[in-house]
Amino acid sequence: MVVLSEVRKLHLDPTKPWVLDGISLRIKEGETCGLCGPGASGKSLLLKIICGLVFPESGHVEVRGTDLLRASAAARRKVQSEMGYLFQNNALFDSATVFENIAFPLRQRARLARTNVDEHEIRERVEETLRGVELLPHAQKMPSQLSGGQRKRVALARAVVARPPLLLYDEPSAGLDPVTTARIYDLLAREKAHTGATTLIVSSDLAALRAFAPRVLMLYDGKLCYDGPQEDMEQSDNAVVRQFARGDIEGPL
Amino acid sequence: MSRVLASIGSAVLALCREIGGMVLLLGYTVALALLGRFDRREFVRSLYKMGVVSVPIVAMTALFTGGTMVIQSGIFVQRYQAYGLLGWGTVYAVLREVGPILIGLMFSGRVGANNAADLGTMVVTDQVDGLRALSIQPIPFLIVPRVLAMVAAMFCLLILGDAVAIVGGMAFGKLLLGVDFASFWASCADAIKLWDLTVGLIKGCVFALLIAITSAHYGLQVQGGAVGVGRAVNDAVVAAALLIMISDDLLTMVLR
Amino acid sequence: MNRAGAKTRWGHFFWAAARQLAEIARLTVLGAVRSRRPKGELVRQFYQVGNRSFLFVLVTLGFTGMVLVFQSCLQLSQVTGDLSQVGSEFIKYLVHEFGPSLTAMMLATRVGAGIAAEVGSMVVTEQVDALQMCGVEPVEYLLAPRFFATLVMAVVLSVFGTLSAILLGGFAAHQTFHVPYAVFLDFDKVRLVDVFTGFVKALAYGAAIPIVSGFCGLRTSGGSEGVGWATTRAVVFSSFAVIVLDFLISALALLTWQAA
Repeated sequence: MVVLSEVRKLHLDPTKPWVLDGISLRIKEGETCGLCGPGASGKSLLLKIICGLVFPESGHVEVRGTDLLRASAAARRKVQSEMGYLFQNNALFDSATVFENIAFPLRQRARLARTNVDEHEIRERVEETLRGVELLPHAQKMPSQLSGGQRKRVALARAVVARPPLLLYDEPSAGLDPVTTARIYDLLAREKAHTGATTLIVSSDLAALRAFAPRVLMLYDGKLCYDGPQEDMEQSDNAVVRQFARGDIEGPL
Repeated sequence: MSRVLASIGSAVLALCREIGGMVLLLGYTVALALLGRFDRREFVRSLYKMGVVSVPIVAMTALFTGGTMVIQSGIFVQRYQAYGLLGWGTVYAVLREVGPILIGLMFSGRVGANNAADLGTMVVTDQVDGLRALSIQPIPFLIVPRVLAMVAAMFCLLILGDAVAIVGGMAFGKLLLGVDFASFWASCADAIKLWDLTVGLIKGCVFALLIAITSAHYGLQVQGGAVGVGRAVNDAVVAAALLIMISDDLLTMVLR
Repeated sequence: MNRAGAKTRWGHFFWAAARQLAEIARLTVLGAVRSRRPKGELVRQFYQVGNRSFLFVLVTLGFTGMVLVFQSCLQLSQVTGDLSQVGSEFIKYLVHEFGPSLTAMMLATRVGAGIAAEVGSMVVTEQVDALQMCGVEPVEYLLAPRFFATLVMAVVLSVFGTLSAILLGGFAAHQTFHVPYAVFLDFDKVRLVDVFTGFVKALAYGAAIPIVSGFCGLRTSGGSEGVGWATTRAVVFSSFAVIVLDFLISALALLTWQAA
C-alpha cells in the first residue's frame, strides 16, 4: 500500500543536515502503524510526504501503486482523494458549517468521478458520520463556535466520511484532556474495526498508541531507529529507543 | 428605512471612532517628538528598515512613473508639435503630483503595511503587553521613533525618486519620442522652480505622517491572530490611500 | 544541496518564484475559463471585490480628479491662459490613462490585501492542504472566482471612477477657475482608440492584481506574522505590477495606435 525508499528531505535551517535521512519503509494493506519520536524529528513531515503534500529531495514514494513524485497533478489528486488525513490543527474550513465541512470530500469525489451529486446520499452519509462522532446536533454550527475537542471530532469525521482505504492521523490527541483523548482513540478504533483501512498514526502518546497500534516506528535523528511491535520497545538494543519507551529523563535524548 | 439610517449612523460613528483614535495618536506622538522623549536606537533601526530597504522598489517605481509621464505629456506635445515643452510638462507633473502620490502609495504598501503587520504581530504575541509589564511605554518606545523614521525616510526616498523619474523620463523621451537630452533639460531649466520641488516634498512628508499614524493605529488595535493581522494591514493600507488622496487635494489647493 | 555562492541561490530563488507565478497564472485563468464553480461563490466574490471597493474608488478618484483639474488649470493659465480645452483634454486623459490606472492602484490596495490575507490565513491554518487532501486543486478553487470577479470589477469600477473624477473635476474647475460646466463637459476629443486603451488597461490590471496577490498569499509561511508579510508583499507587488503594465500599455499604444 505504502512504499518509501531512501527518502531524503532537507531541513529548513540551512545549517542543519537532513531532517529525513534515507527513510525506507513498507506498510501493507490493512496494517495499523504508529509513528513516534522526539519533538521536531520530522514525523508530520514524513506523513505529508506520504500523502504528496510535500516533496522530498530524493527517494521513491509510492502509494497504492502510484509513484507520487512522477505522477501528474491529476493522478496525484486522485490518490489524495482516496486518503483521509486528520490534521494536527484540524484545518477545518472556517467559512463553512460543520455539515459542509464533512460533506466537502464527498462532493469533490463526485466531481472528480464526473458523476452527479446525489444530495440525499450525501446527507445520509454525513449524518451517519456525525452520529458516529456524536456531533449531530451541531451540524449547522461554524467551526469557530466549537470547542477544541469538538473541532477534532469534526476533522476526524471529515477524514473518514468518504471511507478511504488509507487513513493518516497527525497527533490526534494533541492538546486534549485525558477523557477526550480516550474518546478520540475509541473512535479511531471503531473506524478501524468497521472499515479495516490501512492506518498510520503519528503520536507521541505511547500509552494511547499501546492499545491501538500493533506496529510502531520510531523516528530519531533523521532515521527510523525502530520498527516492530510496541511491547518490545523497552527491550530494544538502541538506548534512544529504550529511553523514549520508558520515558526516562536520563539517557542520550 | 430606519434600518438604512441605523446602518449609516453606525458607519459614521465607526468612522469617527477611527479618526478620533488616529488624531489622539497623532497628538500624543507629536507632543512626545517635540519633547524629544523617544527611543533613539529604535529610530535609527527603523530608518534602516524603512528607508534603505525601500530604495529598490521606490527607484523602480520612479523609473516607470517617469516613463509614463513622458508618454502622457508626449501626446500633447506630439499633437501641438511643442517638443520644447516635453521636459517642463513631465518634470512639473512628477515633482508636484505624480511623484509624491505614486511613491507615497508604494511607501504605504512597502513600509506602512509592514509596520502595521509588525505592530499587529507584536500585539498578538503579547509583546506589547510585555513592554508594559517592564514599565516601558509602547508609544514613546515603539511608535514615535517609527513615525519620525518614516517621515525622514520618505523625504530622502522622494528626492531619490524624483531624480530617478526625471532621468528615466529623459531616457524614455529620447527612446520613444526622439527628444534629445539637451532640449529636455533646456525646457525644464528655467521653467521649473525650487518651489515645485518643495511642494512635492511637503506633500511627501505629510503622506508619510499619515501612513505612519494609520499603520500604527490599526496595528496596535489588532484582535484575533493571523486573520486579525491580515485585516489590520488591509484596513491600514486602505485608510492610508484614502487619506493620501484627500490630503493631496487639500495641499494642492493650499500650496500654489 | 548545492551550497554555491549567494548569487546562484538568489538566481534559483527568482527563477523558481517566476515559474511558480506563471503556474499560478495558468491555473487561475484556466480555472476561470472552465468555470465549473458554483454560482453562489462567484456572486459572493463579486460582492467582496466590487461592493466594498465602490465607495472607496468613487471618493479617491473624485478627489484626485479635482486635484488634477486644479493643477492643469493652474499650469495652463501660466502658459496660454485659455481654459476652454481643459475639460475635453482632461476627460480624454482620464478615459485612456488616469481612470483605469488610479482605480487599479486603489484596487491593488483594497483587493490585493484582501485576497492575500484570506488566502494567506488559509495556508497558515493548513486549510489549503486540507483542500488538496479532498482532491481539490487549491489554486483553481480559491483564485479562479476571485480572478473573474476582479477582472470584471476592474472594468466596472474604472468606469464609475472615471465618471466620478469627471464630475468632481468639473466642480473644481467651476468653483476655482469659473469654467462653465457646459464648456468643461466636452466629450468631443474622446476617440474610440482612447476607450480601447483604457479598456485594455483595466483588463490587464484586473487580471494582474488577483494573480499577484494570490501568489503572495499562497507563499505565506510562518503563522500570523506570515500573513502580515504576505499582505504587505501583495500590496507592493500588485501596485508595482499596475505601474509597470501602465507604462507598457501606454508605450505600446503610443507606438501603435497613437492614442496612448
